[in-house]
Amino acid sequence: MKFCAVKQYFDDENNNNITSGASTTMIPLPNVESHPLAILITYCKKHLKIKANNADNKKETEKEMEQYEQELLKKVMPQELTELILAANYLNFKEALDFFCRAVASAIQNKSIEFVRKFFGLESDFELGEEEKLREEFAWSFEGVDED
Amino acid sequence: MEGGMDFLNCLDLDMSLQILMYLKDPSDLARVSSVSRSWRDFVIANGLFKQLCLRMFPQLSRVARVMELNKCGAKEPVEVGSSYSTEWESLARNHRVYATLARVCTSFLPEDCISKAISASSTDNYPEESIENTLRPADIVPHRPLYWSSKGQKNPAVPETLIYKLKSEFCVITEIKIRPFEAYFQPGSPIYSAKSVRFQMGHPKSPNDLGSRLLGDPLPSADDTFIWTYTSPEFPMAQESCLQKFTLPEPVLCIGGILQIELLGRVQTQEVDGLFYICMSYVRVMGRPLSPALRVEILEPSGTFVLKKDMQGKFHTQPGLPENEAREIPNDRWQRRIRYLQHFVDILQGNANVVEIEEYESGEEEDEAEEEYPL
Repeated sequence: MKFCAVKQYFDDENNNNITSGASTTMIPLPNVESHPLAILITYCKKHLKIKANNADNKKETEKEMEQYEQELLKKVMPQELTELILAANYLNFKEALDFFCRAVASAIQNKSIEFVRKFFGLESDFELGEEEKLREEFAWSFEGVDED
Repeated sequence: MEGGMDFLNCLDLDMSLQILMYLKDPSDLARVSSVSRSWRDFVIANGLFKQLCLRMFPQLSRVARVMELNKCGAKEPVEVGSSYSTEWESLARNHRVYATLARVCTSFLPEDCISKAISASSTDNYPEESIENTLRPADIVPHRPLYWSSKGQKNPAVPETLIYKLKSEFCVITEIKIRPFEAYFQPGSPIYSAKSVRFQMGHPKSPNDLGSRLLGDPLPSADDTFIWTYTSPEFPMAQESCLQKFTLPEPVLCIGGILQIELLGRVQTQEVDGLFYICMSYVRVMGRPLSPALRVEILEPSGTFVLKKDMQGKFHTQPGLPENEAREIPNDRWQRRIRYLQHFVDILQGNANVVEIEEYESGEEEDEAEEEYPL
């Protein structure tokens, strides 16, 4: 189910107000900015379209969705991912939420610590020597990491 | 846009966990816990390494507790202090131990993990056809076929089991390789394979049960002697005398160091008596022994166990070369061997004249007193 929060609003509206048309109702979404919302709407539309095109073929749907998701990730700034996750969570849009969580995990896979810090705008808050100790303890995890 | 957003700070717990759960590689999780203090604390507080290990190895659900042993082999002292610090120390210990476990179980060169044979459900001629023979590749003892044979059965549905002890009571196993035996000295060279095979892993109910016992005597009841904590799916076996590989769907932790091979369904009868037999010539269990650095202590009767990390312990030395496969005999040499042996059999039976064989390689032993081994 997509945009469950919005649907909930519709359902409530219909229960309360039989005569007023849906097109004149304003739905407040205070926690979602327009940019991530636009992306989510596009994602949702695309998902429905692909599903409709491949009515019976689940594998085909998955394959096409994957291709679209890869394309989408190229256009989305990595830093926007957190905003998108928050938006998808607020709107109760499960598929998008799963997708963006996976995307964040993929973004940091096999990347160095410095890359991850830069990606999320973090500073190291370790005391002197603490980080060295960790690097020693987990020396095995620092081999074969992607170049920054 | 300046920098990004620290998702661990902005998102709620569930979502942050969801993101980090998508990291399958222990190295990624280890690096994540080295990014900053808050990230490290998050990984420890939420037991992410333990969760990663549990996803990889459901067998770990029966861990009762985790211990770290210092250089004297003694348990690290529990910190005296607030219950919060004790709990934190416990979480940190879990973090260290499960990180080590995840690391060693995902990055290794598989080696043969069999230490010795324990028992076979039946043996036709003991000791000539003992389960011990399955531990050696055929060409170690020249001119003598090495294989295990079950007793004959009228009913082909009667299964057989072979039980082995592994090099460590704590191993990670990825695949098992079995070579069925081809009786080249029988007409038609029948192959005594089985229809399908299944594997079980577990531990002895009581460590003393294994004691000293002839391999020829099957255990009174294997199911009473051992507790099986893992059963694999059933794999079909080919009716071929090649080394067949059975890869487990996921690597499995063998807790207790005992592995059982169930041979299901007989296929081949012996011409002489019309009974169905199963014979295997070589077995290898591929994986990695985890002790002495990682050990388990099984707590009976609950069946739960203690996971122990020896801070001083090293891991079982890994072979430097890629998989140290038993030397597979090249086909033409195998053919020469068969002809050579067949010739001896013919001589003994008075069917052939002694003729110089020029085919065998110089240096091969000539065994004058060759005996025929009955099944």
